[in-house]
Amino acid sequence: MNPKYLAVFLLAASLCVLPLDAMGQVEQTQTDTAAYGLTPEEYRPFSRFENPYKEFFLSLLEYPGYGRHIPEPDSVETVKIGFIGPIMKSVAESYGGPEEVPMRVNQRQVRWDGYGASHLAPLGIKMLQGAQLALEQANQRGGYRGQTPYQMVVMNDNGEWRSSGRAVIDLAYRDSVWAILGTVDGANSHILIRVALKAEVPVMNTADTDPTFVETNIPWVLRNITDDRMMCYLLADFAYKKLGLERVAALRAVNRYGRVNIDEFRDGSTRLGHPLVVELSYQEGDTDFSAQLERIKALDVDAVFTYGNSLESALILRQMRDMGMDQWFLGSDRMVTDELIEIVGPDHGRVVAGYPYDPTSEDPKHLQFVADFRHAFGEEPETYAAHAYDGMKMLIEATERAGLNRALIRDELVAMNPYHGVTGVQIFDAVLSDRSPATLAFLVDGRFEFFSREHVLSDEFEVAPPSNH
Amino acid sequence: MNSYRYVLIAIALTIPIVQLHGQEAASVTLEGEPFIYTEWESFTTESTNGALVNDHIFYLEADGDSLWIGTEGGLILHHDGEWKSWTEEDGLPWNVIMGIEKDQKTGDLWLALFGEGVARFSGGLFEHFTQMNSGLINDVSFGIGIQGDNVWVASTAGISRYNQVSREWAVFNEKHAPMEEVWAYNVSANEDKVYFAVWGGGILEWDVETETWQDYLDPDREMEIDLYRDDGLIHVITTSASYVDNVLWASTYFGLSRYDGRNWRGYLDHDSGLPSTFINFAAGRSGTSVYNCTDKGMAVLVDYETDTWVTYQRDSEDAETWTAHVMVGGDVVRSVPVGLDLPNHFTIAAEFVGDDIWIGTGHGLARGVGNDFYEGLRR
Repeated sequence: MNPKYLAVFLLAASLCVLPLDAMGQVEQTQTDTAAYGLTPEEYRPFSRFENPYKEFFLSLLEYPGYGRHIPEPDSVETVKIGFIGPIMKSVAESYGGPEEVPMRVNQRQVRWDGYGASHLAPLGIKMLQGAQLALEQANQRGGYRGQTPYQMVVMNDNGEWRSSGRAVIDLAYRDSVWAILGTVDGANSHILIRVALKAEVPVMNTADTDPTFVETNIPWVLRNITDDRMMCYLLADFAYKKLGLERVAALRAVNRYGRVNIDEFRDGSTRLGHPLVVELSYQEGDTDFSAQLERIKALDVDAVFTYGNSLESALILRQMRDMGMDQWFLGSDRMVTDELIEIVGPDHGRVVAGYPYDPTSEDPKHLQFVADFRHAFGEEPETYAAHAYDGMKMLIEATERAGLNRALIRDELVAMNPYHGVTGVQIFDAVLSDRSPATLAFLVDGRFEFFSREHVLSDEFEVAPPSNH
Repeated sequence: MNSYRYVLIAIALTIPIVQLHGQEAASVTLEGEPFIYTEWESFTTESTNGALVNDHIFYLEADGDSLWIGTEGGLILHHDGEWKSWTEEDGLPWNVIMGIEKDQKTGDLWLALFGEGVARFSGGLFEHFTQMNSGLINDVSFGIGIQGDNVWVASTAGISRYNQVSREWAVFNEKHAPMEEVWAYNVSANEDKVYFAVWGGGILEWDVETETWQDYLDPDREMEIDLYRDDGLIHVITTSASYVDNVLWASTYFGLSRYDGRNWRGYLDHDSGLPSTFINFAAGRSGTSVYNCTDKGMAVLVDYETDTWVTYQRDSEDAETWTAHVMVGGDVVRSVPVGLDLPNHFTIAAEFVGDDIWIGTGHGLARGVGNDFYEGLRR
């Protein structure tokens, strides 16, 4: 060998044996795995400046604890599965549980049958209906292993933390359910999973799109709905890359849903070089948004971004248009409702929302579900019903495979990946959250139309030019 | 011949680099011998013929030579090798006990009841405090601690404080304290400071003298990463706090943090003796030693200065006994079989009774016998 090459080889070889941290940079432990949340490089925190010392949520969550050896009970009268969701504000015990309240009400009313409705009742009732349908179909097939009927133990999540926490403890310890499905509200969902972690009960969440819900490392929790992390990335891509917007104002609910679920859009805007011009908030139940909108109007923005419930989102949009603000109106999946369409009317202007799946899918499983739901309830399903149906079916299938053992049911749930349900093919990531693609819902001529990421970001998809405000 | 000068120069340049690498290798040699618990006693409901009424252990509290045990199925006292238990049949308001604190001043025992508030066990009777009959902010209690006359309760909707003399309650949530989230998960009460592990809210410190709050959060403010190892608290999903010798140990489901009032140090599974970053509970033995209950065994940082660890775990599902791995940082120096035969190493609770260490798991309780125990390293 040429001595010069030998010298170079020796130096190179000696450098190669150096540990990375000795060269002044931290060790990367998991660089060959896909990014958490399928986060594009440009949206990753600090990606332009530094590699993190540690990236979490890249390894499949394990439960290495006890429980798998606990024998199945000799006999049970029913196989209980817990449900917790927002149905009523409060209910006296003498009236019975929420499952005994007739589901024949106008869900957009705030009171019915003498009960005060939870502000999330329209979502919770659909969720309950979807779960009920899956459970009833399982019982029509003979129940648990063809022998024992399934029973849903329904608890009301009235939005107050005290009752929600207690409800989960009742499900885990007093009702001894084998698994739990729920809930919608982000705060209550966090409370639920901390209890489930201690009590060691599998939880299937079908409705909470809070990105932080699964960012807790709890191995007992699955979520089968695409979250706001993914919906916000798509909204940001559409707003800044497709539409070329530069000045976006946010007007969101002051509650945890508005505060936390907007995070990825806020951060994404900044990382793409377009920090939000302003971020204003409102209280749930507010009906007059003129003060915030006047301020936003004066800021000459290209779009208004909102995160809140359907009613407030509709009122904001209606008042924007009445004030002559014709900018793009972007928001969350919670505003994709008939209620918004009715309140806003035909002059809705340019409106788009993130959505966790394609409700117009022609997949035979989805079509069958829609037909079954109509037959059972005389109304149309939507996202909360469809995801609850899938979630309950997964719980039942896992129970059938595992037997009556919570740890084994948990294992079977984790093994069901991917899962082809009525909402499409759900692909669960390392923290057991569905990462199937989000869609965008455009309000077109008084109805929502749904488009995939690929389509809306392609050249084929034409949109009106940005407003010249 | 001149060409070989290049080789000589290269060799000369290579020597210090190889020496540097050699120093790395040398750093995994022990600077002293850590104490290893090799003698163990283990207890399950089966092995005690039901005397241990439930062996899903949530909390352990030393009381002199005795040990109080909070389980999923009742309260248990271990004293002089004997077991005594209390369940709902004996007047215990609720069987699921998440926290225990002995009031050294009154002798009363305070219990955090999971979903049923708190209870005071005094004179053989249980007094029950709930959200409905007291100022308790929430019934889902995760932890309890006593500082002076005050009983502090960590609950899922915030923090409650009960003054046993004035019988006044105070509550702290996002309206009264710097709590990004209010989900209090654990409490460590001391003479001068009370620390709370707040799920999603990091560590909250109550200064007894000034009656003010200080919060400690993850500086990178991101859930999915730890940007720098030693920039502050590793993660805001905290599970316990332990304050000893003016040092705060904070456990999370993402690793361990140490704070001495000026500097932070972070520990993860790839750079320390932690077999997993999922830490249910950390019990500080001193400012330089902490016992971490992880889902894959108990990791003991024996000596902070030398980063020496002893990690006790089952090496395989089929292992009949646990193994102690002596480590420096993340490198195993040697492994020692120990006489611990608990069937699962999902550790949840730890407590010191004299020189002994007790650990509680999801299925059983164990006592490490501390004969000739010494702190730190024997050099």
